[in-house]
Amino acid sequence: MSSRTSRRRERLIRCLTKDDVDMADLMQISWQGIPADLRPIVWQLLLTYLPLPSAQRLNKLHVKRQEYASLTSLTFSKPLEQTIWHQIAIDVPRTRPGVPLWADPTTQRCLERILYLWAIRHPASGYVQGINDLVTPFFHVFLSFYIGMSSLRLRLSLPDHRSDGDPSTFSPSHLPQSALTAIEADSFWCLSNLLDGIQMNYIHGQPGIVNALNKMSELVGRLDHKLSQHLAQEGVEYMQFAFRWMNCLLMRELSVENTIRMWDTYMCEGSQAFSQFHLFVCTAFLLTWSQQLLEMDFQGMIMFLQSLPTQDWNDRNIEELMGKAWQLSNTWKDAQGHLGAPG
Amino acid sequence: MAEGSNYDYLFKIVLIGESGVGKSNLLSRFTRNEFNQDSKSTIGVEFATRTITVDGKVVKAQIWDTAGQERYRAITAAYYRGAVGALLVYDISKHATFVNVARWLKELRDHADSNIVIMLVGNKSDLKHLRAVLTDEAKQFATDNGLSFIETSALDATNVEAAFQTILTDIYHIVSSKALETSADAIRPSGGESIKVEPSQEPKQQQKCC
Repeated sequence: MSSRTSRRRERLIRCLTKDDVDMADLMQISWQGIPADLRPIVWQLLLTYLPLPSAQRLNKLHVKRQEYASLTSLTFSKPLEQTIWHQIAIDVPRTRPGVPLWADPTTQRCLERILYLWAIRHPASGYVQGINDLVTPFFHVFLSFYIGMSSLRLRLSLPDHRSDGDPSTFSPSHLPQSALTAIEADSFWCLSNLLDGIQMNYIHGQPGIVNALNKMSELVGRLDHKLSQHLAQEGVEYMQFAFRWMNCLLMRELSVENTIRMWDTYMCEGSQAFSQFHLFVCTAFLLTWSQQLLEMDFQGMIMFLQSLPTQDWNDRNIEELMGKAWQLSNTWKDAQGHLGAPG
Repeated sequence: MAEGSNYDYLFKIVLIGESGVGKSNLLSRFTRNEFNQDSKSTIGVEFATRTITVDGKVVKAQIWDTAGQERYRAITAAYYRGAVGALLVYDISKHATFVNVARWLKELRDHADSNIVIMLVGNKSDLKHLRAVLTDEAKQFATDNGLSFIETSALDATNVEAAFQTILTDIYHIVSSKALETSADAIRPSGGESIKVEPSQEPKQQQKCC
């Protein structure tokens, strides 16, 4: 661990051990990435799932987990909404295919319940394909908290435990039921908080995405005129490649580990991050490939953009991307009104 | 620039149908000879191409695979623009996916070129023990609606080649006879732009949404 990383870790621990966590401080420290073992609690604080005053946390967790349990039992005691259930049942086995954690029937049942309950509670959008992907970072992070814990007693103040096991290869059926239901409930509530900010992406006509794509195209026009021209000349439309970037928050382009690191920063960018900041991230992401794209024709670009060479991306690539997005956001955030304005 | 125009015709084809019927696997079987049991769901559209020969002419198929979920229909309709062929896919082991074929057909009639060549494709023919849609029933529906029809299995590769070969040949025959009637200039292969079955129509390249 570099001395800078360890200093940041100490700062974070100091911030977290206060009786009343200072949100601004927490965001400032966490923007540059959160150590894996501290991530579960930090994410829950940043998403305002856990209260900042430590004295209230145990009770809040208890209440939210109880509430989730009663909501699921109520919802599943009624006849299922067939259209929604059918789509979820098709997509659950197609969530992170090939990864043991997600091939495990125990995880799949958790995912089904989370998605179905969310869909029933949000009738304007319901379940939309791709939301299944968005559950996985939460489940992954919250599961990591429990893996290898010598004592499965919930430690709500601050976990001193460091996880070394990889959640991707872990079978959650090894967990006690209480731990599993806690992970499921926490994942549900945190997913709900995240989706609250991007509901427009999933309602009829998906206006959140359409808007974001228009803004992105305009931004690229101003930032990289050559690329913008080239895309237009070859007939490449943003809808053809960046729709998925918006719909799945780049999760189809990046590994779950990359996504988790990216979300550390998103959660420190405020409640609009998953819509507003994400737009700048996508723009920066596209500009990353500008040189290659300029050499390609329509077909080459589409093929390239739908399977980008990000397999080797690590935290440093993500940090570079976040840095570029932050610069763009600083420059253009206030110009948003002018970007993608109708007419 | 990349490869250039080393083909005589470029045809844009769309793959449509309910979620989970195997559209993406039909595409990957045809273009890469690959099959993936648990592939991720398609979000928006995905694209692949393959070049085949019809009557000694090089025909390049530019195939757009679409998301099956209802919610995506508002945006996928835009991808029909310029398509000269559509494979409307259902799953022979799931009757509901066949029932919904009528709705997909309406979708095409509403949003695609009126001359689009449509082929009804009953996929997953390897699931014989689970068959829920009779071949005759589907054949009848196809005849009634002026569609061609084939049963395929992306899993064991049965008829996948034949399905694409047939629709591309059908399109080729229509386009080449049209080209004789009118000017051959109407057929101008270039990246991103597709050939209209009806040369009289103005190609709309940029459509601004919202």
